[in-house]
Amino acid sequence: MKYPAFLIVAAFLCTALASALARAEAQAIRIVATTTDLADITRAICGDLAIVTSITTGQEDPHALSAKPGYVVSARDADLWIRIGMELEIGWEGPILRDSRNRRIQVGAPGHLDASTNVIRLDVPTQAITRAMGDVHPMGNPHYWLDPLNGRIVAKTITDKLCDLHPQHQDAFQQNLRNFQNDLDEHMFGQTLVARFGGAKLWRFLNDGTLKPQLAAADLGAGDGWYGLLEPYAGSYVVTYHRSWIYLLERFNLPVLAEMEPLPGVPPSGRHLAKLAQDMRDKQVRVILQEPFYNRKAADLLAKRSPATVLVRANACGGSAEATSYLAMLDSVIRGLHNALSNDTPQP
Amino acid sequence: MLKMTQRLAFLSIVVAFTTIIIIPMARAQDSSNQELAQVLRELSQQIQDIKKEHAAALQTMQREIDALKAQLQQQAAQTTLPSTVTTVTTVTGVPAAAAISTASRDDDEQELYAAIKSSAAAMLPATPVPGVDLDASVIIDGFYHYDSHKLGVSHLKNSLAGFSHAHDQDDAGHDHEHSVIEDGFNLRHLELGLSAAVDPYFTAWTTLAFDDHASEVEEAVIQSSSLPWGLTLSAGKIKSGIGRMNHQHSHNWDFFDQPLVYDALFGDHGLTDKGLQLTWLAPTPFHFLIGAEAFQGNHETVANYLGSDPFPRHNGPRLLTSFLKFGPQLDEQHALQFGLSYVQGRHQEEEDHDGHTHYFNGYNRIYGADVVYKYDAKRPHGHGDVVLQGEFFHRQRDLELLNNGQDYNNSQDGYYLQALYGFKPRWRVGARWEQLGVTNDVHDVHDGKLSYCASNRASAMLDWKLSEFSLLRMQTTNGNFATAHGREDFWEFIMQLQISIGKHAAHDF
Repeated sequence: MKYPAFLIVAAFLCTALASALARAEAQAIRIVATTTDLADITRAICGDLAIVTSITTGQEDPHALSAKPGYVVSARDADLWIRIGMELEIGWEGPILRDSRNRRIQVGAPGHLDASTNVIRLDVPTQAITRAMGDVHPMGNPHYWLDPLNGRIVAKTITDKLCDLHPQHQDAFQQNLRNFQNDLDEHMFGQTLVARFGGAKLWRFLNDGTLKPQLAAADLGAGDGWYGLLEPYAGSYVVTYHRSWIYLLERFNLPVLAEMEPLPGVPPSGRHLAKLAQDMRDKQVRVILQEPFYNRKAADLLAKRSPATVLVRANACGGSAEATSYLAMLDSVIRGLHNALSNDTPQP
Repeated sequence: MLKMTQRLAFLSIVVAFTTIIIIPMARAQDSSNQELAQVLRELSQQIQDIKKEHAAALQTMQREIDALKAQLQQQAAQTTLPSTVTTVTTVTGVPAAAAISTASRDDDEQELYAAIKSSAAAMLPATPVPGVDLDASVIIDGFYHYDSHKLGVSHLKNSLAGFSHAHDQDDAGHDHEHSVIEDGFNLRHLELGLSAAVDPYFTAWTTLAFDDHASEVEEAVIQSSSLPWGLTLSAGKIKSGIGRMNHQHSHNWDFFDQPLVYDALFGDHGLTDKGLQLTWLAPTPFHFLIGAEAFQGNHETVANYLGSDPFPRHNGPRLLTSFLKFGPQLDEQHALQFGLSYVQGRHQEEEDHDGHTHYFNGYNRIYGADVVYKYDAKRPHGHGDVVLQGEFFHRQRDLELLNNGQDYNNSQDGYYLQALYGFKPRWRVGARWEQLGVTNDVHDVHDGKLSYCASNRASAMLDWKLSEFSLLRMQTTNGNFATAHGREDFWEFIMQLQISIGKHAAHDF
């Protein structure tokens, strides 16, 4: 019995030392967001009031991540856990939360926030799905953060939760939310339009489809934001690798012709690509959009056989050098789309 | 408009009353019928006229309202979209306009969220969310097997020098009818997993294994979900937390089979028994977990209990374990975990030898060390990922021969090292090297102290995860085993198809 006794004593000593070190850290609110975009938005709301970390780095496919001891340590200390939801984290959230033994952040506890609560959802199945359809999410397409309006809604959802949990800081959270919303609105519509209309009004008009006639009636252009950049190309078809860009493209009225994957999560097949290339020629598709972590071969093949160019952009903050924040990530995608769509040089 | 309606109502009441009063009167006085008819005609004519007036008035009012609306819209457009001229000119107007705009912007926010909420509500599916979260999954694991040895590899595994269950070769291999693999098509077992939260205090899961011959409860665990201070208590039939692979089910193995050292020390199903497990996740800046278990002690190779004369009786728990896991904080792409384990079990054995029986009683003590390193290339479907893993176990078996009180001490060990690499999305290749009995010192009743040779095995594996739920695997193994009859060399080839239906599996570390 000498051996286990030594083991347990050594363990306790290590622990005491390490936990003393850990205590020395600030008493800030500790938040773990599952993705970098959620973390970035949360940081914008919290300012210096919280230490925010994320599980993903933005470089990987968030579906396929697996639990690691380090994630368990982050979750163990968290006061608030924020997830994308809609089953994006289905493979790894469960083991991390279970192994963290942190009762504050278990599903259903006040410290567990599903950021999808109020967002606008797309691709919600209207009939029973089976796995023969590929990776179809029964609660709808979970890549909703790529719609800037959903980013705005998520910021509000997070602010409401933070105000509930830490009412003593609510003025700061609310002010930070207004700043974030204003920043996002100015990116979207440009400073001039936001100063005149107010962001919320512009979003409401855009969401119910009346923004264009309203602006025309007021004798105004589309502004110098993202909306103004892509508005002239509304209706242009785009091809994507995975069905992950639908929220962004629908927001800017750029319909998705098809995905390179024949079914969600199923790699592109030659036959599917051949048909897609034909459709792309017919519809004069100018852009093929995909994430950096997917293989480019299929996209390059399509680009050769159609007038389209390949646009590789990270769909999460941290996924590329330009994507330093949530807004910078969106900016990089939207400017990329604008460049690809406005490129007039004829393609072979 | 109000006046008009009042008049109309009043007249209708008058008409109604007159009718009520007049009709009985008319019945009484037939002579006045014509007079009454005249009055009624006049009244209805009046009503018609009033109706026409009413409609005309309504139309004019609607026109007025429309005109007013248009005017208001113009005004609104002027306030929200002020031309550059108006904003620049009025100095006093600027703060006032700002105040108005902030007030209205809060309202705008409210309106925006209300609009989104109503549109989002319309988008939700009509199907209700199921009320109880009983997650079920079924794993079907079928394989084709071929080996080059005339007796079969399952037979060889049971007669490894120093590790065979009985020294008498004829008894070996018949205890586990279901573990015998035939050349040709096999079904490993059907694994049924059920799990759910019990209530706010417990979660529970069970894994049931079925095959053609038997069914078995592999695991039935009730786990606390609400203990404080990083503690978790589990009870039931538990796969022990010792080592790296012991708690993994066969469908989570990276190779078709478990390492030889597990086969030899812990048997087909690993160290699984009924009991309690307490684990503690320390509040350290790195991952540090300590666990202790107390099991009843009914385990063939670790804590065999016979308990009848001449063996001493022992109440449970007869099998105790402790383990710790340590994982340093590395950057996002790397993960490392070290583990140490200790197992102690009361062990009893009887052996028949040429007409007489030997009764052994004593302890098994097993010391284990494991390490696993994972590299995450951050590419889709495991492309570029690397996993390196190794485990070592040393068993000290100290038994007393009850017939004469003499001590018999056996000292044996085994290890494996394996590496996996994702060379394409969804495709992995792996290699594993194993040795059992590098130290293989056995004290035999008749032959005295013996030192057997080690058994070696090398495996190469190729697997393809078609999706999250199906896997196709090929494995080739070359074994060189030390048996009682000398060294045996063999080749083994396996083609495996494994699928899971039901609950989406967790991607555990």
